[in-house]
Amino acid sequence: MPSVAVIDLSLPYIQRAVLEMLLLSVPAGLLGSWIVLRRLAFFTHAVGSVSFPALVLAAAWGIAPQLAALVAALGFGVAQERIARSRRLPADAATGLLLVGALAAGVVLASDVFESGAEVDTLLFGSLIGLDDRDLWLTGIVAVGAVALDAALRRDWLATGFDPASARALGLRPALADRLLLAGIAAAAVVALDAVGALLVAVVLVVPAATVRLVTDRLGALRLGAVALAALEGVAAVALADALNVGAGPALAVLAGGVFAAVALATAARVRVAAA
Amino acid sequence: MIRVEDLGGGYVPGRDALRDVRFTAEPGQIVGVLGPNGGGKTTLFRALLGELPIRRGEIELPGRPAYVPQTERARLDFPVSAFDVVLMGAYARTSWYRRVARADRAAAHAALERVGLGEEAGTTFGALSGGQRQRVLIARALLQDAPVLLLDEPLSGVDGVSAARIEAVFAELRGEGRTLLVATHDVRQAGEWDRVLCLHGRQIEFGPPAAVLSPETLRETYGAELIVLEGGSRAVGIGHHQH
Repeated sequence: MPSVAVIDLSLPYIQRAVLEMLLLSVPAGLLGSWIVLRRLAFFTHAVGSVSFPALVLAAAWGIAPQLAALVAALGFGVAQERIARSRRLPADAATGLLLVGALAAGVVLASDVFESGAEVDTLLFGSLIGLDDRDLWLTGIVAVGAVALDAALRRDWLATGFDPASARALGLRPALADRLLLAGIAAAAVVALDAVGALLVAVVLVVPAATVRLVTDRLGALRLGAVALAALEGVAAVALADALNVGAGPALAVLAGGVFAAVALATAARVRVAAA
Repeated sequence: MIRVEDLGGGYVPGRDALRDVRFTAEPGQIVGVLGPNGGGKTTLFRALLGELPIRRGEIELPGRPAYVPQTERARLDFPVSAFDVVLMGAYARTSWYRRVARADRAAAHAALERVGLGEEAGTTFGALSGGQRQRVLIARALLQDAPVLLLDEPLSGVDGVSAARIEAVFAELRGEGRTLLVATHDVRQAGEWDRVLCLHGRQIEFGPPAAVLSPETLRETYGAELIVLEGGSRAVGIGHHQH
């Protein structure tokens, strides 16, 4: 029986994985808070999924996977906005269509490109051992970018999300601010891919912030709490994944999902007690 | 002064939501904007805010107007207090890298006091009553310190205390020389203000209430939505909101 409580920091790949999770917790907590407040969880999940065919193509053509994923994610964001603006299709239906289309394309392409299923598993669910310096640098850059975006635009995001009809009358630039939010989410999803995989991006970008949202009504506490919880859960997931020899993405999904469920049950019980 | 000349436009090409609007409003005047649902009241406000996708004609304003939306347009599950919402009125003049200025924070508290909600500054917006939420949105517009305020049915469905407070604030704003355009379904109330603008896809009439609020004009404005009471001396528009 492996011990899941111990994390062996002398191993270089564990060091990288822990550092990656700590860096990732910054965009996960800051942008994750806005993802939850602005109801962009499905968009976030889709941004991760649409990068799957791009990752397959990147492997086949020998180009940087992050570059291919970023192009796919931004392309998806633009397509999503165009479809939503045309009002011919509800936005979530458009997301669903693009998402299944991308997954299907990825699977078809992968069957030609890869000889074994293992690589496909890694693209979909992430891996701890494949992280290199470039992955860490990119995650660090996105972490700094997320702090800058949040500092510059949080008031626009707050006012626009609270009351979209008034945002321009308040002298804000809601369209520009929202595009930058979607671009920031796309970048965060791209750097989360190596660790948690294309299908589980929402686990790190959505679940910690959604968990903290259950217990706070304050924006500052939500953002800081989400960063802290994402960091804690990320490091714990690395230990769990290493001990059980599973991907970091599935380990984090089980862990973060369990914490969310426990907090949801506890807050529901507290509300019932308070109401009684 | 607000001057509107031959204003028309809408949301899709070839289909005007509003046309032939021309009126002027002086500083210190309250203009009641009457009309049925879909009659063009909100469209007029969008045009004055410069947000109508298609717009013809001329608009002259003394500065950027403040806008008070219908309270049910706001998200009640957002983690913002009444004070946070009022503070949004100062966002436009706050640099992105600074906190909202101390003077603006003090002004936000003063604005909440003015609408009678000084005690509720820390209360989550969604936990307030409908009338209180409306007053918070008005306090936000007060913080914008705009020469023109556009209010979209601020008195619809609010409690008596809130309505009295809101009307008191209107009187103060009039005294300060600001111009208020107030969309309303309450014909009696509009009759107490300085001017009345009747819209039904186009301008039906504009002028002092005594001249405008005739049974004929109201019938033309509201069509089948109108009930005229007491031999034509009072008329009540029935407002049902479509969402």
